[in-house]
Amino acid sequence: MEHIELFFKSIFIDNMVFATFLGMCSYLAVSKKVATAVGLGAAVIFVLAVTVPLNWLLDQYLLQEGALAWLGSEYAEYDLSFLSFIMFIATIATMVQLVEIIVEKFSPSLYNSLGIFLPLIAVNCAILGGSLFMQSREIPSLGLALTYGVGSGIGWFLAILAIAAIREKIRYSNVPPALRGLGITFIITGLMAIGFMSFGGMLTGGDEEKKEKTTEVIVSSKLEKSTEVKKIDINEKSDTKEVAENIKEIEK
Amino acid sequence: MGLLSKKDAKLITDPLTDNNPITIQVLGICSALAITAELNASIVMAVSVLFVLGVGNVVISLMRNIIPSKIRIIVQLIVVATLVIIVDLVLKAFAYELSKTLGAFIGLIITNCIIMGRFEAFALGNGPWKSFLDGIGNAVGYGVILIIVGFFRELLGAGTLLGFKVLGDPIEKTGLYAIGYENNGFMLLAPMALIVVGILIWVQRSRNPALIEEN
Amino acid sequence: MSKKTDSNSYTIIFSVGMVLIVGSLLAFLASYFKPTIDENKRIEKQQNILYAMGVNENEEGSVTFISKDVVGENFSKYITKQLVIQGGAISENDQAYLIDIKKQQTLAKEGEDRLFPLFIGEKDGKTFYVAPIRGKGLWDAIWAYVAMDENMVIQGAYFDHKGETAGLGANIKLRFFMDDFTGEHLLSDGQFKGIDVSKSNNDPKNEDKMDNQVDAIAGATITGDGVSAMIKSELRNYVSYFKNLKTN
Repeated sequence: MEHIELFFKSIFIDNMVFATFLGMCSYLAVSKKVATAVGLGAAVIFVLAVTVPLNWLLDQYLLQEGALAWLGSEYAEYDLSFLSFIMFIATIATMVQLVEIIVEKFSPSLYNSLGIFLPLIAVNCAILGGSLFMQSREIPSLGLALTYGVGSGIGWFLAILAIAAIREKIRYSNVPPALRGLGITFIITGLMAIGFMSFGGMLTGGDEEKKEKTTEVIVSSKLEKSTEVKKIDINEKSDTKEVAENIKEIEK
Repeated sequence: MGLLSKKDAKLITDPLTDNNPITIQVLGICSALAITAELNASIVMAVSVLFVLGVGNVVISLMRNIIPSKIRIIVQLIVVATLVIIVDLVLKAFAYELSKTLGAFIGLIITNCIIMGRFEAFALGNGPWKSFLDGIGNAVGYGVILIIVGFFRELLGAGTLLGFKVLGDPIEKTGLYAIGYENNGFMLLAPMALIVVGILIWVQRSRNPALIEEN
Repeated sequence: MSKKTDSNSYTIIFSVGMVLIVGSLLAFLASYFKPTIDENKRIEKQQNILYAMGVNENEEGSVTFISKDVVGENFSKYITKQLVIQGGAISENDQAYLIDIKKQQTLAKEGEDRLFPLFIGEKDGKTFYVAPIRGKGLWDAIWAYVAMDENMVIQGAYFDHKGETAGLGANIKLRFFMDDFTGEHLLSDGQFKGIDVSKSNNDPKNEDKMDNQVDAIAGATITGDGVSAMIKSELRNYVSYFKNLKTN
């Protein structure tokens, strides 16, 4: 079913953090403790789940070329898409304001530990990215927009949860001083991103040709195990001018 | 620099090293990873951010006393978005080819945390000239990292720099390829950008131990 | 921040004022530049179509179009006919190159009979059939102009994209990729096969033109897949036109 496919696609294949690197700033800064990461992740899921469908409606009935046709046929010519950014940002900022108020009321400790990063969700590339992708990929229905929003949020949540868990664990590891903190986090995230690339074999093929491609071996990379450096096998076909590479992960 | 007082000059030099927006302030990561597979794109992005941050910082600074505190963030976002849209429109009209290269990055510039970060941290509390310098300094600090990452990724990943084949021709097997060197295609993939930045941070903190985080 | 900026009424007045100022500024600039931008787009389409046909100023390894000042006359010179195929009917329309393929694809999705433009050009005694196609890359739309001969053998192609990654997906616009398509057969034993942008083709100089494959670009798998899908689903629609050409 379309919805289920889109759902899994947005969590694993188009993962906001590992595939498109959106929302990295708050991801890197807030991932020191699992508890805060969970709080921020939940907030991101909520904001995405609300803003993507809302912005879909805006795009359908206000911004797209010809969207204003419902007002009257003379308006069908208008193309307000240049206002997309501003309108999307406005909905996002409003939603975030709402979330801020709710969090402050129900969990002041979470509110304090998130600090500046709660209002910064509004600028979080992931949130705006969610709406912009929804627009550029021309997601056809409100239901799918909702699925996409929730899925993307969950993907981001998984990523930040994983890295926070790992960072908590490596506090007791012997990381070289200059790599401590930010440096090692970057490298670990890079390794996790490589791991997530293995999901690219899942659900490949266009809409019409779903079953034609054989799916590559899906390596279920348990996120807790990502601290071990994976052995990456890079076969470079020596004659290709566009280096066609095969990245196989050896782990079964 | 006779024009700038010592304090002002620091506004430009600090972000280059000790207060680098990417490696220290942890801002602007998204774009640093997404577009650095090609040196050319890194340069274009760096220049665009220079413009938007420089002008934006001045605008916010000029407006700082009239912005209502409740909608501060929204106003900042709108200023950035407007500037970026204007840049896009002007480019589309007068340098169409260039605008197509930039088109993809427009969204990335708006959400570039550096811009909002500097608005909040500096422009809202300082005068326009200082804000301008701060904007320029941070944009240059950002640009330097982008160019370094772009340089390595394009060189090691595709064997080219700015599109020019500098290591020889991989198909005809000239230059370095004659002795068996192969492009590391993996460098072109996004995860390597993360690792390269991680290494840059490592290098930076090794040279300046004051930046090392406590455990 | 002075007290005055904290009050609700001030906030509302400010927001309204800001929206009005920004809105009108952008609306003004957008409409002021629209004619110039539209003209740029129109010229670009002409340049792209001519490029696919081989009318260009390519040197060494670069992609260079006919310059803007002469593109108009060159377009009329080389493009002899512009067809629009709809349902089973073929008509002529010299504005066919302006047809928005994106809109047509939306129409098709809604079950309507969409338009399929085809541009016929003549150069050095050869006839070229150029079709505009459109598809999805990794981030956003990709499109192309594919020039074929009457046997649906590709004579030239021009690819473009809205937002593919620089250095990766964006490389579909580079000579080494586009040149690979020249000479490739779309048909195989009379059947439409399309072209597969494949990682296992292993033919960097693209010497095999009958295998319905070209080499993929490292790091641009999804963009490459998008190109394959686009060619397959769009050019398939022109097969009946070419079959009719043969029998007439």
